[in-house]
Amino acid sequence: MGLFSSLYNKVAKFFRPQEDDGEASKSVATNRLKLVLMQDRTNLTPRILEQMRSELIDLLSRYVELDKELLELNFEQEGDQVALMLSIPVIRAKDEEEIEAALKAREEQNSKSEGNNEETESDGDSESNEDSDEIIDERTEEEKAEAEKADAIAKELQDVPTIIKKKKVSQPEEMGNNPFKGDDNSEKVELESTTEA
Amino acid sequence: MTGRVIVITSGKGGVGKTTTSANIGTALAKAGHKVVLIDTDLGLRNLDLLLGLENRIVYTIVDVIEERCKLKQALVKDKKNPNLSLLAAAQTRDKTAVNAEQLKEICDTLREENDFVLVDCPAGIEQGFQNAVAGANEAIVVTTPEMSAIRDADRIIGLLATKEEISSTKLLLNRVRPSLIKSNEMMSVDDVIGILEIPLIGIIPEDTGIITSTNKGEPIVNDENALAGKAYRNVAQRILGEEVPFLDLDEPKGFMAKIKNAFAKLKVKV
Ligand SMILES: Nc1ncnc2c1ncn2[C@@H]1O[C@H](COP(=O)(O)OP(=O)(O)O)[C@@H](O)[C@H]1O
Ligand SMILES: [Mg+2]
Repeated sequence: MGLFSSLYNKVAKFFRPQEDDGEASKSVATNRLKLVLMQDRTNLTPRILEQMRSELIDLLSRYVELDKELLELNFEQEGDQVALMLSIPVIRAKDEEEIEAALKAREEQNSKSEGNNEETESDGDSESNEDSDEIIDERTEEEKAEAEKADAIAKELQDVPTIIKKKKVSQPEEMGNNPFKGDDNSEKVELESTTEA
Repeated sequence: MTGRVIVITSGKGGVGKTTTSANIGTALAKAGHKVVLIDTDLGLRNLDLLLGLENRIVYTIVDVIEERCKLKQALVKDKKNPNLSLLAAAQTRDKTAVNAEQLKEICDTLREENDFVLVDCPAGIEQGFQNAVAGANEAIVVTTPEMSAIRDADRIIGLLATKEEISSTKLLLNRVRPSLIKSNEMMSVDDVIGILEIPLIGIIPEDTGIITSTNKGEPIVNDENALAGKAYRNVAQRILGEEVPFLDLDEPKGFMAKIKNAFAKLKVKV
């Protein structure tokens, strides 16, 4: 599947410069382990995390133009407390009109999904859920497909060296420090919507 | 007398639970305490082999539970150490032959006449684990510095936290290889503690002497010169409440190794 190979490539790319570097092995292990334990300890599977992430992107995009690729959803644990850290690289602020338009578009979308069930089929949006039974059925199927994909990805991620995102130059923070980094799933949202379109 | 019942557990198999049980049990007995070791790994019994007692087992824990013998009859005394005895697992029976209440009852009875009851737990988080922890009031979680072992240990630590009777859970890090830690190929002791966040009771180095000691049926704590033996003796002392510094497993670092390390660090920052 194209989605998977692209994911693999990304991860592979990330590792290439460090391949023969002894330092990588241990910190890779520590980071992978921290992420997987966060998932074990909470009920936040990669699939649910991805869901959370894409909902946040949808929500925030109405107000600011953000770099979806670089949006990071991290968990930081200190003792018993887990904090959810959201880092949003803003490309530019939207002006009033754009925001109004986005809000209006959303309203229309909602009323559309209330009134016309058939048309929601192409609508991968996850927030329009105050609907009739038929729509619920529709979404369940969609979710099933999504779940399948996500599970496959989750399974794949277990075999891949890490799911830590490749950092871009614009983010100076050192990669090894935060294990609960957003993963490459941002790519997935886009890929999914393009296949559905 | 009310002895302490300590379960030695891990989640993952093959990380050193049985080795640890045999060695801590032997060390505590050598220090003059009355110790019973219980092998709860039904169908996969091993503790008898590590102690060299395999030929002397007549009755097993299942015989006790099914009332074919008295509990006392099933305890096999160690040849050299009359303070140490073993309640063996049944090799022919599966894990359903015993339930948690039965094991708790056995532990409760044994602690009345012993200072320590050490329960060697099978791998996994199912019935065998539930049985082994049922009578315990302390736990030692064994792990190696490997991801899969640590993940399973984390799971076990979470499960132990839900058991009210267990008042203390400590970590024993086994098969540590200082040379690998030094070259950053293995997670360090600090890394592991940072992740699992429970107090450490011991660090046991990887030691080929453990293989030969298993061959002979004699726990490595009996070997005064073995590093792993010393590490296990230290664990026993810590269990007894003494403050013993952790072994410094660092080998003297050669000049070339230093240079190499310096370069390795440089490379990452560039
Ligand atoms: N510190 C160590 N150094 C070398 N080998 C070890 C060490 N600890 C355990 N082993 C070996 O690992 C294997 C598994 O140990 P065991 O105690 O049977 O694990 P478990 O009871 O958790 O399944 C055995 O072959 C044992 O000799
Ligand atoms: Mg064992």
